Parts: sequence; C-alpha cells; structure tokens
Amino acid sequence: MSSSVTLRRSRTPYLLLLPAVAILLLGMGYPLVWQIVTSLHEYGLAQQFGQPAPFVGLENFITLATDGALWVVVARSLAFCVITAAVTLVVGTLLALLMTAVTRTARLILQVALLLAWSMPVVAAMTVWIWLFDWRRGVINYVLDMIPGVELYRFQWLASPITFFLVASIIVVWMSVPFVSFSVYAGLTQVSEEVMEAAQLDGANGWQRFWSIILPLVRPVIAIVLLLQLIWDLRVFTQITMLQDAGSKASDYDLLGTYIYKLGTSAQDFGMASAVSILVLAITIALSWFYIRSLLKEDQQ
Amino acid sequence: MTRVRIRRLLLSALAVVIAALWAFPVYWMVSSSLIPTAVLNSFIPTFFPARPTGSNYAGALADGSFFRALGMSLAITLTVVVACLLFAFLAALAISRFRFRGRTSFVVAVLVVQMLPAEGLFIAQYKMVSSVGLLDSVIGPSVIYTAAVVPFTIWMLRGFVAGIPADLEEAAMVDGLSRFGAFMRITFPLLAPGLVASGVYAFLQAWNEFTVALVLLPSEANQTLPLWLRGFVQASATRETDWGQVMAASTLVAVPVIVFFLIVQGRLTSGLVAGAVKG
Amino acid sequence: MTMKKIGAVAAATAALLVLAGCSTPAPEDAGGTDITLWLMGGDTPDALRDYLKTEYADATGGTLTIEEQSWGDALSKLTTALPDAENTPDVVEIGNTWSPTFTTVGAFTDISDMYDELGGDSLLPSFVEIGEVDGANYALPYYFGSRYMFYRKDIWSAAGKEVPTTLAEFNETAASLKTATQSGFYIGGQDWRNGISWIFANGGELAVKDGDQWVSTLSDPNTIEGLTQLQSLFQSASLAPVTEYDSTPWVNINNNEATGAPEAATIIAPGWAHWSIGDLAPDPNDDTKQVATWNDEVFGTFVLPGVDGGVAPVFAGGSNIAISAASKNQAAAKELMKIIFSEEYQTMLGENGLGPANLDYADSLGDDQFAVALRESAAGSKLTPAAPGWAAVEGSGLLEEFFGKVNEGGDIPALAAEYDEKITALLNG
Repeated sequence: MSSSVTLRRSRTPYLLLLPAVAILLLGMGYPLVWQIVTSLHEYGLAQQFGQPAPFVGLENFITLATDGALWVVVARSLAFCVITAAVTLVVGTLLALLMTAVTRTARLILQVALLLAWSMPVVAAMTVWIWLFDWRRGVINYVLDMIPGVELYRFQWLASPITFFLVASIIVVWMSVPFVSFSVYAGLTQVSEEVMEAAQLDGANGWQRFWSIILPLVRPVIAIVLLLQLIWDLRVFTQITMLQDAGSKASDYDLLGTYIYKLGTSAQDFGMASAVSILVLAITIALSWFYIRSLLKEDQQ
Repeated sequence: MTRVRIRRLLLSALAVVIAALWAFPVYWMVSSSLIPTAVLNSFIPTFFPARPTGSNYAGALADGSFFRALGMSLAITLTVVVACLLFAFLAALAISRFRFRGRTSFVVAVLVVQMLPAEGLFIAQYKMVSSVGLLDSVIGPSVIYTAAVVPFTIWMLRGFVAGIPADLEEAAMVDGLSRFGAFMRITFPLLAPGLVASGVYAFLQAWNEFTVALVLLPSEANQTLPLWLRGFVQASATRETDWGQVMAASTLVAVPVIVFFLIVQGRLTSGLVAGAVKG
Repeated sequence: MTMKKIGAVAAATAALLVLAGCSTPAPEDAGGTDITLWLMGGDTPDALRDYLKTEYADATGGTLTIEEQSWGDALSKLTTALPDAENTPDVVEIGNTWSPTFTTVGAFTDISDMYDELGGDSLLPSFVEIGEVDGANYALPYYFGSRYMFYRKDIWSAAGKEVPTTLAEFNETAASLKTATQSGFYIGGQDWRNGISWIFANGGELAVKDGDQWVSTLSDPNTIEGLTQLQSLFQSASLAPVTEYDSTPWVNINNNEATGAPEAATIIAPGWAHWSIGDLAPDPNDDTKQVATWNDEVFGTFVLPGVDGGVAPVFAGGSNIAISAASKNQAAAKELMKIIFSEEYQTMLGENGLGPANLDYADSLGDDQFAVALRESAAGSKLTPAAPGWAAVEGSGLLEEFFGKVNEGGDIPALAAEYDEKITALLNG
C-alpha cells in the first residue's frame, strides 16, 4: 500500500462510506428495526389504526415454527429457488460457451436477443407471458398442440401446482439467463487463446477442456452469479403474484414472497408477516454462508 | 479445417434459433400491439400484423396518463441511478483502497441487507416517508430504491476500483496533476464500464419496482409506469381484457428501457468483462 | 414604541391571524375545502364522476379529486393511508364485504346523525347493517349489483329446454347442455362469489355469530348440501378451469369468431354485463373494434331459482361508502355524502344500471328485462358474514382454495372441517 494512502487511512475511508451508510440507514434501517420490533408484537389492523400493540415475545415465531403450512412453503421455495437458479446457471453458461464458438453475426444476433429479454420491464414481460400461456388464446398451446402426439388443446398450465411452477420457472429463467450469459461470456473472453490452444494440443477433448481449464478460470464469476441467482430466486415475488392473479390464489401456489404478502397485506397480520420476513432473512444467510465465509477468510489474509 | 468450419456454421445456426426463441415474447408483444383486438380475440393466433393498426396505441395513450407516468418513472430512475453510482463508488473506494476497523462488518452487512424480503416492509416505509411529508414525491421512492440497490452496486464497483492500480494516479500526480485531476483523467475512464454495468442494474430495479411505489405514490397523478401498466391491465380485466391495448401499453413501458440498453450495450459487455476478471 | 405603533402592530397581527385562519379553515367549515374521494374500480361511469365534481364545487367552492383504486391493490393502500391524517382520502368506497373489518377498528366516522338525512330506512337494509357497529352507522350503501343468469335461447330451445323454476331443474338442464366444446353453465372452480348461491339457496351459511365469537359453518349440513350440488354442477356442466375465480364470463356466451358458436350456453354475471353480450359486429366508428348488440331472439335472462322455486339468494355484490375518521375535512366530506345520496345522483346510478343505495329511486333502473332481473335477484340477495376478520378471510384466498378443492372433486365433509378451522381463526379479527 502506497504511503499517501496509508497516511490518510485514519478518517478518509469513513468519510467515503458516509453517504452509502446514511442512505442505507435511512432506507433500510428504520424498516428493518420496525420489522424486528413488530415481529415481537401482536400487530394487526387494529394496531395500524392506533390501538396499542401487546408485546408477545417470541410467540409469533413459535406459532410459525409449529405451523406445518409454513414449512411446506419454505421447502417449496427452496426447491423452486435451487432448481431455477441451477437451470439458469447451466443454460446461461452454455449460451456463453456458444457465443465463443459461433460467427460474429450469429453472436451479435444472440446477444441482441438476450439483451431484449433482459431489458423487458417485469410487469410488461409477465403480461406477455401470461397471455402466451393463456389456456384458450395462448400461442404456446396452439403451437405445441400442432406437434403430432402432443395433446395440449386448451391445456390449463396454471391450474395445477406442478405446471404452475414450471411456467414460473421458465419465465424466471428467461429473464435471468441474459445476465448470467453476459457475465460468464465476459469471463470466458479473459481465458487466453494460448491456454485454449495448448489444451487442444495436449489432446484434451471439449468436455475435459471445459472441466479442467475453463471452469476453474471462470469460477469466481460463476460463484457470484450463482449466489445472486439464489438470493433473487428465493425472494421472487412479482412473477408469482402476477401468475396468481391469472391463475389461482390458493396456498398451494405460494412461495415465500407471496406468503408474506398474503399474511401482511391481505390477512393483516403484520406481526406474523414480519416474523416470516426475518425467518427468510435467516434462510438466505444460511444459503449464502459458503460465500460469506470465503469472503471473511479472504479479508483476514 | 472444413470440419471445424462446418461445426462453427451448425453452432451459429443453433445460436440464431435460440436467439429467435428468446426474443419471441418481445416480438409477440410488439406484433400483437399492432393487431386489432377483434382479430386477437379469435382462438387462432395471428403471427404477423399483415394490416398493422395504430389504434391500440391511440387507445392506450388516449387519456395522457402515460406521459405523466413516464415523467415520474424517468425522474425517480435517474435520481436513483445517479445517487446510487455516486454513493457506491465512494464506498467501493473506501473498501478496496483502505484497511480500516469495521471494514469486514460493513462488507458483510452490505451483502446481508439485500437479502431482506421487501414484501413485509411497506407499512414501515409508508410511515417513514409519510412522517416527513414526502408521499407522492420523487424523493420518497428514490431513497428506498437507492438503499435497496446500493449494496449490490458497491459490490460490483469494488472489483473495478481494486483493479485500477493506485500507482497510476500517483504517477500522474508526479507529473503535476492534482489528486482530483489525476482521478478524473486516469481513474474515471477506467471505471466507466463498471459504472455502466452497475448503472444498468440500478436502472432496471428502479424502473421495474411497483409494490413500494403503490403505497408511497397514492395519487393517480404520480403513478410510475409499472403502476400505470398494472392499472391498465386490471381496469381492462374488469370488462373484457383488451389484449391489443394491453400489449401496446406493455410495449410503451418497455421501449425506453430497450433504447437505454441498446445505447449502453457496448460499454455494458466490457463492463461485465472487467468485473468478471476481478470476480 | 408609541401607542399608535402598538395599535398598528396589533391590527397587522390580527389581519395575519385572519388570513391564517382562511388558509386552514376550522374543521366545521366546508367552505373552499379540497377533498379526495377514492372509488373502487371503473364501475362508476365518467358522467357520474363529473357530476360529483361539479356539484361539490358548486356546494362548497372546493375541488373534489377522485382517485380510482384497483380492487386487487386497494387493501394495502387503505391499510396505510386511512390511519394517516395527513394523507387519508376523505371519503372512500369499499367493497361491501370489507366494511366490518374497517368499521370495527375505527377507520370511519360515525355518521348516525346524518342517517335520516341521507335516506334513512329507505337505504338498502343489508348494506346498512354490514356497515353498523353497535347500532351506529359508519358505512352506508353506495350501489348494489346482484348477479343473474344470461342464457342462449337458441341453444336451450334447440335442446327443448324451458327456463327452470327450481334449482334442481337448473342443475339438471345445465348438465344436459354440456358438450365437449361447450359448458352448459360456465362457472370457475374457485369462483366462490357465485358458488355461495348454492349454499345460501339450501339454507346454509358461511359463518354465524355464536355468543360474541364468529364461527365458520362450512360443516353445517345445509352448507354441505349446497356444496355437494355445486360440486356436481361444476363437474357435469362447466368446462372452466378449476382454478378460475374471477372470470369475465360474457366472453363465453357470445359467438366466437373462430368457431361460430359460444363457449357456454349459460353464465351468471352482474347486470351491466348485458352491454357486452349480443351479436358481434365491427364497430361502425372504428373497424378494429367490435360491438355487441343484444338480440332477444338469441339471448335471454332469468333469475337463479330457489330450491323450492322462487328466487335463490345470490351474493349481493356492491359497495359501501364511508368517511375516513382520520380526515381533517369532516364537514366537507359530509357535504359530499349529501350529494352522493341526493335524489339526482341516486337516479343517475340507476340509469347506469347500478342499483341505487336508496331504494325509493330503484325505479330509475327502468323496467326492461335487465332491470327486472336485477330487482328480482336483489330482493333475495344475501351478504357475506359481518365478521371483523372477513376482509382477512377474503384476502387470504382461503375461500378460493376451498371452493377449488371442492369442485375438483374433493371429499366435502373433510375439506369443510379443515377450512372451518382455518377460517374461524381469522374471523374474529
């Protein structure tokens, strides 16, 4: 570390952090504290209209922990999140590899297509997708039904949980793959030609080359991208709630985001909704623990 | 050699097919927005607007509320992007150039803060913003969004700042430039791709959000575009969904973002490249 | 300082005080006060909104701002804005079934003193009742719109069917009209708002008050009987998705362009749906749109018959209206209420096909078949339980879930017991 930096180390970093910390405290601090406090109280609509909120300690959490319904939603959300994030990562990486193997024009076409999907505002994208999957007028049923042997005339995609979440997963993958592809492609362009050629001369086949040379080089990119996908897919909300508007509001179709929303906004039990939010925070930290730990280690060195 | 070329061409064909599949929903939106609803309501889909009509757009724009919402969305989004890039850059500078007490806690806190589900926060956010009289203003949602986006942008920029050797600035200073001058001439250009990549992220988040906007912008006159589109779809659904107009409205909401993406596209990829090296 | 100067200062101060007094009028003075009215969805036509604004300006000199709220997002906005004195809307329309939830937490102003002035006992009794707490009036009816049946005369007569006179007859006829591509009666599996008619018709209830506690009564034998009929009707007569809960059924009774036939022989819909039902033809003003023209040869209406004939109690759709307790403009808000309950506005509601809150003006609905059907179905209509937690029950999606599982072919007594427990937990707020 250079001398000028060392000299300034006493106060400068804190001044530099000040704006970010201030905005975080302002925008997230108060809501976070409110949420923790509320989770320890009985807080419903009456409290929102000014009645005192009785302190109930950990009662909300105990009710949650013993409520089988919550754990079903947690398990479903984890499954959805892990599968969707994994598929996103695999498809995104494959498309990135494809970009390195095709002509310039083909690469440009593919990149523009991905860019279009990435830039679609979520509400607009969901509106289009819901129409594509519409059971009567949807183009997806129309096209798939024309394939011989496929019976999808008026198939109701949103009428059973399995196909509902398949549709949700397809949409989320469609939206998330561009970010993954561009990031991994960016990483791949950093693998030098010489390394690739040397590997080829050694007689390594495509798979070996990918596994033993390319993958280790882009691993940091993949790790951060995977972490972000896991975080985002666990808290997915807009996509699910809009699909529920078009399909079913039943609890079989809930993930954690819509579960919290229903508890709070619809059932007006804000104490419980806050408790679930804190639980989700804990789950996410647990999920990303592998990354946080490696970060802390790297930092200590 | 020929085998390699054939392989390349086959893969290129595959890439084009995938591109077509990926872009299809976007194509479908634009194409349907040009087709009269009477035709769209048929059970047989129309794949190409043979006789395009502007009537869906005329219908969606009829009451002028689109432009008000566009103005609101632009104001909020630009505020968020600028505030977020500035704050995140300063913070990234601090954590990548300095060792100080509390650095690690800050880094971890930044990572954890973005994991909190937002769906349960709206009452607290409303109370906070309302108590300072900022409901229905640009500032209210901007503060919330900036706080939500800043952690990830700090994260992205950290790699870039670390990648720029401090020696470069020092060398420039030896050549007689002030510290600020050295920064503006040397560091800033190197950072540009990173700023673009983080800016895109902030832009998308602010542009798309609607659950917070719903309670913080209660008046119709102050709606953002996602709220406008949602209201449009829901109003349409209480009668018979007018798919033509809904698709036209969706296209209108998407176009500013697509334009923005195409403008920054070159920088964006190189931004991700540089970010990727640093992980 | 001379006495003169002191006098001048005092006068100036007094003038300032008067000015200040003008800019924030005393609470009981409605003069020049700007207020806000939240309306739900697009049911109130523009002409009526303009009328309210003009009349309010004439009466008080202030500006009335009308904000339209969508049904789907209204709960979160009401929850945050109503308790907030600085930002609350002054007058709000709410779904009639949500009234108890908000009245019991004190969200609205007690307007018992205006009750007689606004129409008194001429106001639709069931809606008045659901807006009451301990005999005091907090929310009053805004409009009602109960649902009745629309059917295809051509299809019914081709099959030799007559308009049914009992519920059982209707159920049978509907089942007999179902084909592979056409519902005899189109109803979504989760559509509980229409589905509860079968419960009510069989003497069942969704919940009753036992002492001072509300209890869900899905397991009541009458309720079970209604659900059993509904289940077999859905399975034998409807092609709608089992997850559909809020459909726009009139699209199903018009001929579809591609097939030249309707999707359904019968639907149940709110009265104003008749504007969208009929023979489809291109709009003469805009050939990219279509207009439906009602055709008496092809389309008809009837009221859902009861178990022993007569009229079945259908869900009484509609809204209530109330003044926010947190509003600082109570006097001005009351002025607006007077305009809303005036003969002229009530008549305008009726002329637009919305059942007026004041039944003295129900004639304004006219006497065509739609008005007759609306009045007949409204006469027997019934509301959901007036439990404080009812909005939570509706919001939680439990009813959609329960009706969906029933119509899917589930075991009714077991499901009823399961959901009784879940719903009772929410009913008491």
